Amino acid sequence: MDATMQSTYRRAINAGLIAGVAMIYLASVGLVGAFAERPIIASIGGEGPGLITLGRVMLATPAFLIGLIVAGRIRGTGTGTGASAAAVAALSGAVAGLLFGVFLLLIAAVDVRGVFLPLTPALVETLAFGQEPIVGAIINVLLAGAVAALAALIRLLDGRDRAAVLAAIGIVLLVAMLEPIIRPILGRVELDAVRDFMFTGGGLTLPAAALLAGLVIAYTWSTRHPSSPVRRQLDAVSDERRRQLQIGAAIIGVLIVLAVPFVATGFVSLVLFNVGLYLMLALGLNIVVGYAGLLDLGYVAFFAVGAYAMGVLTSSASSMGGPMSALFGAEWGFWLALPVVLIIAAIVGLLIGAPVLRLRGDYLAIVTLGFGEIARVLVGSEALRPALGGPNGVVGVPNLTIPGFGELTSPGEYYYPVVAFAAFAAYMAWRLSNSRTGRAWMAMREDETVAQATGVNTTNYKLLAFALGGTLGGLAGALFAVQLRTVFPGSFLLIVSITVLAIIILGGMGTIRGVIAGALILVGLPEALREFGEYRFLVYGAALVAMMVLRPEGLFPSKTRRAELHEESDEDKQLGESFQDPDRAAPTATGANA
Amino acid sequence: MSHAPAQESGTVAPRTGDLVLEVTALTKRFEGLVANHDINFTIPRRSIVSVIGPNGAGKTTLFNQITGFIEPTSGTIVFDGIDVSGLPPHKIVELGMARTYQNIRLFHNMTTLANVLVGHHVRMSAQWWQILFNTPSVQREEEHTDAFAYELLDLVGLSRRYADDLAKNLPYGDQRRLEIARALASRPKLLLLDEPTAGMNPAETRQMTDLIARLRRELGLTVVLIEHDMKVVMGISERITVLDYGELLAEGTPEEIRTNPSVIEAYLGKQATSA
Repeated sequence: MDATMQSTYRRAINAGLIAGVAMIYLASVGLVGAFAERPIIASIGGEGPGLITLGRVMLATPAFLIGLIVAGRIRGTGTGTGASAAAVAALSGAVAGLLFGVFLLLIAAVDVRGVFLPLTPALVETLAFGQEPIVGAIINVLLAGAVAALAALIRLLDGRDRAAVLAAIGIVLLVAMLEPIIRPILGRVELDAVRDFMFTGGGLTLPAAALLAGLVIAYTWSTRHPSSPVRRQLDAVSDERRRQLQIGAAIIGVLIVLAVPFVATGFVSLVLFNVGLYLMLALGLNIVVGYAGLLDLGYVAFFAVGAYAMGVLTSSASSMGGPMSALFGAEWGFWLALPVVLIIAAIVGLLIGAPVLRLRGDYLAIVTLGFGEIARVLVGSEALRPALGGPNGVVGVPNLTIPGFGELTSPGEYYYPVVAFAAFAAYMAWRLSNSRTGRAWMAMREDETVAQATGVNTTNYKLLAFALGGTLGGLAGALFAVQLRTVFPGSFLLIVSITVLAIIILGGMGTIRGVIAGALILVGLPEALREFGEYRFLVYGAALVAMMVLRPEGLFPSKTRRAELHEESDEDKQLGESFQDPDRAAPTATGANA
Repeated sequence: MSHAPAQESGTVAPRTGDLVLEVTALTKRFEGLVANHDINFTIPRRSIVSVIGPNGAGKTTLFNQITGFIEPTSGTIVFDGIDVSGLPPHKIVELGMARTYQNIRLFHNMTTLANVLVGHHVRMSAQWWQILFNTPSVQREEEHTDAFAYELLDLVGLSRRYADDLAKNLPYGDQRRLEIARALASRPKLLLLDEPTAGMNPAETRQMTDLIARLRRELGLTVVLIEHDMKVVMGISERITVLDYGELLAEGTPEEIRTNPSVIEAYLGKQATSA
């Protein structure tokens, strides 16, 4: 065995050990147990929790990933054929499974529930596939090896086919996970036959899963592969026709967005309301962080200001009682109060912005973090209790009344105003991004000193970023207040700032499309997967770390960011060239001869 | 080896008495270190002036004070009849001064075109609320600025193909050119170039020298450059200012500087003896 092969095996085993530890971790924190009852693919006889559960998918993920990585490495070095790559990946997976099997035997023999609560005998039985622990361990070894080998085979497909297969797997998983949402929708739009074919109430049926995967692969192949007839047809479409089609697609998209409350349950509308709210917050913060490069960790302050301002201005005095009614019982309508709320939010933006004008980077982040906490403590404080209701908050905020439509009574109906406001926020961000203002912000983000020396009044533009970002945060807060009809200090925790920032990072700093995707994934998905519950932040953290390592530019990066993070090699090359240049040494002696 | 003849002197005679920059008794101290001490000089309109001196002589500090990057400890800087000492940099840009940097400082993660567009910032008037409504005046201004930016790319010799590339991905020499285009976008009267030919090969250096001459000829600019390449300095400047240890050592025409004994001793002489 030569040295390269030896190192290939050693690295494969190392990868397997890491995957094994990841599997043990997932089981130990309880993630596997929590999802052991969540079916992805229904069992054929309709018995048991399902053929494949989300718990099993999670457990298989580490083996799948190392399969991809190991095969990719072998392919990259060109040291092996497809079969040997699959074999090495299988070995890697089997090592992971072996480690996990040993762990399984251990927890079957020793009760460690005192430390690891989730490691119950029930879990052990599930993990052992209902067999004796030793048999279960062997099954795990074989299964992990098989999963890794499968992943390796997928990795060895050529780029387009690989993308198609991975997309198919991803979409089947997503549809299965969203069963509680999709199933009632299919019922409402009178597609009972489709519903019963796809879902059993305990996961996706096997034929439906196969059909879905087939459709995704067919779609990806036919639209991407250059030799496919569909692709050729698409390429032949004229530019003008293409634009018409795009406009048509956009209209259909808008109609789908508008139709959601009619087909979906109230719960879905509510989740989407939250998504829209966070979308507005993220678009606002994106102006501050993504465009102007000012890392604000206390963005929740604007959300709180908007919500409290709206609450205080519109709340009916009688329900508030106390001295507050005399002071603040304005009982304005939403539309009268809204401009005032936005102006207040903008002013708060200026007030927060002014003292931090000279701070950059980490210092700015820490100070704004403090501002966010101050806002939370202040709104819940005894001192402001007469005005803001202290820990009880502001109650009796009236429903939103839309002129010509009437009062919005159920929380789900707030879906439309939030869509409208979010659309406004997106329009604002889009307009500003490629304009004198947006360019000034970006120049400031790139190099503040030079921006100023190029003529940008950095003081004004920083304040403008804080004020406009604050206004969008205040707008979201105002809507939040009328939808909830009460405003509590407990809604304005640090985690709101963190989530909003995470949305921007996940989506791709500075792009509107990315922000929308980020809001759907980070706010929408956890609501759809209620089981996540306490694991939500674990998954956030893991997702963000994974993003930073695998795709630091975000899901939908701007052209700029992508180039920035993936063309380092070019940059290095350039640097090298400039250093090699002999004329760089100064001063030259030419003049001395004179 | 002889120097190249001064290409421009004689074709454009600086109007005497019409000074674009007057520096009087300028002093800058950094906690004990005197970077510039009692510096006096003037720069006639439409002239090309070089500032030379050994490394650490205070040339860049002088530039930084003129452009408002740092505030002088004492002394005054009068630009085009206005005392600019202590004004913030963006105000000075507005008055018609622009600069480049010794170590190229572009907005690396913005496109080539966007870099030039930012340069035009001070000559634009669109406010954010107008931008939100995309008013006709905003549209006109954007169109006009785009066209102007492309013209500047042509002027400095940057291919329009690079317009949508990130600034940091441009070749080194083109980055220097882009920095000049960005500076020109603010329609300056006075252009300060900090080592414009540093790191360039002889062909590129020639192009840069030609460009500087052209800027004066076609745009009527006054150019002050810090430069180490004596061939460039002697070839292009009407006047030369020599700094040494933060003090003004000599000022005069290339011929005067070349024959000035203290300059030879302090700056050229060291190399002449070591060579």
